[in-house]
Amino acid sequence: MDGASSTQSADLSWLDKPGVFRVNRLDAHSDHRCYATQDEAAQDASSLVMPLDGTWKFKYSPNPQARPADFYKLAEAPADFDDIAVPGHIEIAGYDKNQYINTMYPWEGRKYRRPAGLTPDDPGIGAFSEADDNPVGSYLRTFTLPEHMRGQRIHVVFEGVEQAFYLWLNGHFVGYAEDTFTPSEFDLTPYIDETGENIIACEVFKRSTAAWIEDQDFFRFFGIFRPVKLVALPKIHVDDISVRSLLSDDLHTGTITVDMRLSAKAAADLAGAQTEVVVTDPQGNRIASQTGSPEHDGDATLVFTGIAEPQLWDNGSPNLYRVEVRLVDAAGETCEVAQVDTGFRKLVRDGVKVTLNGHRLYILGVNRHEWNADSGRCITVDDMHRDIDTMLRNNINAVRTCHYPDRLEWYRLCDEHGIYVMAETNLESHGTWQKMGAVEPSYNVPGNSSVWEKVVVDRATTQYEMLKNHPSILFWSMGNESYAGTAIAAMDAYYKSKQDGRLTHYEGVVHNRAFEDVISDLESRMYDTPEGARKYLSEQPKKPYILCEFMHDMGNSLGGFGDYMELFDDCEGFLGGFIWDYIDQQLYAPDPVTGGKMLCYGGDFDDRCSDYEFSGDGLLFADRTEKPAMQEVKYYYGRYADGNHIR
Amino acid sequence: MEIIFGDVVTGVHGDGFEYLFSWQAGGPVSFNVNGREWLYRAPRPALWRATTDNDRGNGFPVRSAMWMGADMFATCSKTELSVDGEPVAKPLAPDNNAFGGAVQAQTMTMTYTYTLPVVPATTVTVAYTVTPDGTIGVTVRYEGKEGLPELPVFGLRFVMPTPAKGFTYTGLSGETYPDRMAGGVPGEYTVEGMPVTPYLVPQDCGMHMRTQQVTVTRDSVLDNSKRGDRSEFSLTFAQAEGGEPFAFSCLPYTPEEIENATHPNELPPVRRTVLTVCGAVRGVGGIDSWGSDVRPDYHIDAQQDHEYSFVIKL
Repeated sequence: MDGASSTQSADLSWLDKPGVFRVNRLDAHSDHRCYATQDEAAQDASSLVMPLDGTWKFKYSPNPQARPADFYKLAEAPADFDDIAVPGHIEIAGYDKNQYINTMYPWEGRKYRRPAGLTPDDPGIGAFSEADDNPVGSYLRTFTLPEHMRGQRIHVVFEGVEQAFYLWLNGHFVGYAEDTFTPSEFDLTPYIDETGENIIACEVFKRSTAAWIEDQDFFRFFGIFRPVKLVALPKIHVDDISVRSLLSDDLHTGTITVDMRLSAKAAADLAGAQTEVVVTDPQGNRIASQTGSPEHDGDATLVFTGIAEPQLWDNGSPNLYRVEVRLVDAAGETCEVAQVDTGFRKLVRDGVKVTLNGHRLYILGVNRHEWNADSGRCITVDDMHRDIDTMLRNNINAVRTCHYPDRLEWYRLCDEHGIYVMAETNLESHGTWQKMGAVEPSYNVPGNSSVWEKVVVDRATTQYEMLKNHPSILFWSMGNESYAGTAIAAMDAYYKSKQDGRLTHYEGVVHNRAFEDVISDLESRMYDTPEGARKYLSEQPKKPYILCEFMHDMGNSLGGFGDYMELFDDCEGFLGGFIWDYIDQQLYAPDPVTGGKMLCYGGDFDDRCSDYEFSGDGLLFADRTEKPAMQEVKYYYGRYADGNHIR
Repeated sequence: MEIIFGDVVTGVHGDGFEYLFSWQAGGPVSFNVNGREWLYRAPRPALWRATTDNDRGNGFPVRSAMWMGADMFATCSKTELSVDGEPVAKPLAPDNNAFGGAVQAQTMTMTYTYTLPVVPATTVTVAYTVTPDGTIGVTVRYEGKEGLPELPVFGLRFVMPTPAKGFTYTGLSGETYPDRMAGGVPGEYTVEGMPVTPYLVPQDCGMHMRTQQVTVTRDSVLDNSKRGDRSEFSLTFAQAEGGEPFAFSCLPYTPEEIENATHPNELPPVRRTVLTVCGAVRGVGGIDSWGSDVRPDYHIDAQQDHEYSFVIKL
């Protein structure tokens, strides 16, 4: 069962079945911006969106058996429900327990578990649905549709829910989704009360089979931790848009292709409809426009050729062109205005050399977890702005979104500020193949499992479809530290099938060289020594070499950085790397002695097992102040950062 | 300047200074400048740093643990004095009866030898040379011994009676270590207070490489007659003429105090100044935090001799 299926009732055993990871969740689409009018587009303020953030009613249950199973049928929250802020982590709201752990699974030493789906005789039923260590958050709130959203199709988007959740509206089952770090969108239209009060119910489970592939090195939380919103779809709507900005080999001529998939409230609405597409240059000048008619199935393609001397996009000059689509119905009324920003840049791999717009590409990067010491992985747009400023100030030109997709706003900021992105799929199964430092893949997932392959390819598909238009993304990364097998090879093949000019990345193939030729365009290493890098690069290297993690900046560290940087001067195949990592993961908690607040880490919450201070590897302290080592980063990256030209 | 040959302490006095070199405490017990005291206890060789995450990860403190004991328990095994270049063989009682009063001199050198509780044992020698303008030249020598593990640091630690208000130094910007100082910008910098870099687990911090001089400023004393007097006073530690720049850290804690804390808020209340003037500093490393050593150029070989000098100026 996947997104193609529909069902009328929720089934708790989906938590146990790796093959069930989304039910009625809509297919991912581009993250283009939609507005009801041209004025709204000009102001970047859409009336088609209604946030559902704020206070929800909430009931915490320590395990599935203790949960109020029928709460979604209620017309209002019972008296024993508390208030909780959405978005936010349930643990930080005061329930369950904060736990920081790295590669071990969070139940290490408490539960004997193995991933289901690896052998036919192990269905794994009950492993999570009947577990006493699987807390549940039951969320409830009401909303009334504002007048201007009535009469339209209504979707709900949960931008991030950890780790598995079921959704109901007005007592009707709507859907189920896993994949913590990508938006889950559902169609509420069949169940919505357009004029009255609607009650939306969401049941979030801390653990499911997704736990096996979300074993990232971080605090383990659950809950609705990213924004929730209602979206109204006008009678004609751009469901998906794919914009490709292509450059001639000499970089002097650009072509923009725009592929759209439209949907209509009623099939007849498409008849006579028109798509008006306008392209503006980075200075806001209108440089091209076309009008077309969608096919009867709602597909539309427009091509703008012969764009002379396009202003190229790169770190030094992040020039963005804007593609704006206006949908006009047969009567000439504007139904929707959609926007996508795009950039002309040409990424070329030639043997071990990688160039961007004809110049050698220097990846002066950092790994970035989303983090805020008050609210964990629930971060604000202001946090993102501060991070962009910090990177620009210190000559950091690239980010690996370790090890999951970030909030969508981040990619737009990277487009606007010229930060190169390695977009990483939400995948890490570290504890299934590496134990106490040794490679031991006896129950590795996704491995060579056809069931788990579906799960991870869906995650790749979601990431690609929502992020495909962002010029900042140069690399698709399959995930982190999950060993290598046919499932990850299928992810690589999926990304390559898109032929979008980006390169694929995955490090774990280092541990299983059998897949070297079918996984990753780059030779990726973590924590290799400068000598190790030099050795690879001097012995007929097959691929460009990148350090997806290096310079482990734990505590007082970052010594010897120069020995890596000089590889840029000596080895043409050295693409650079991403420092581990951007910001310490610590949480504020009351200091029992002084009554003030203090920054805490793993083990400070009676959390066991824990990896204690191992989350303190950032160039920034958890309060976002820079560590002293940053001046070294600024110096060395600055030597190569001048718009990709060596100073 | 004049020298007072006491029974326990040899004092040297001049315009604005009074220094007391003890034969009992194993080092100077007073650097009094313009009526204000700069020493809380006799300075001792600095042979340990609070371990960094990378140190712990690569096993360095296990290999070099004996230096922590040496840092805490070095004992003075020999004291020597010379005045105007001539050794004074019998400066103490009853031979000091022969001086009959203060003795005028142009230079005086007290040399303390510390025997370190390491196996095999070795020594650090600290020589203080005072001249009439009150300048103290300091030379610190380490005697290398085959078989000794690498040193975390080699320096001289001054514990001052009250907290510094701040310090001004000429050297590199920010916190620097020998393998992390390329980004340090040369200049003169003033630091308020004695910031302890708030690493998640407290660890060695605040080092400043390639320093030409540092001036420590205080505005409080323990002297009961000067309670409430918050006028500022300073002392400068500078590169010796014709010598090399040095490294220093100016923190409110000893390495052992820092070593014990698991969070910054477990560090004790700030009561004193700990100024460590270093001739050699081990790098911090950075390849990883679970085994990789500091790059080869940034180790301190304890099997070799080390020596450095600096001056203390009024």
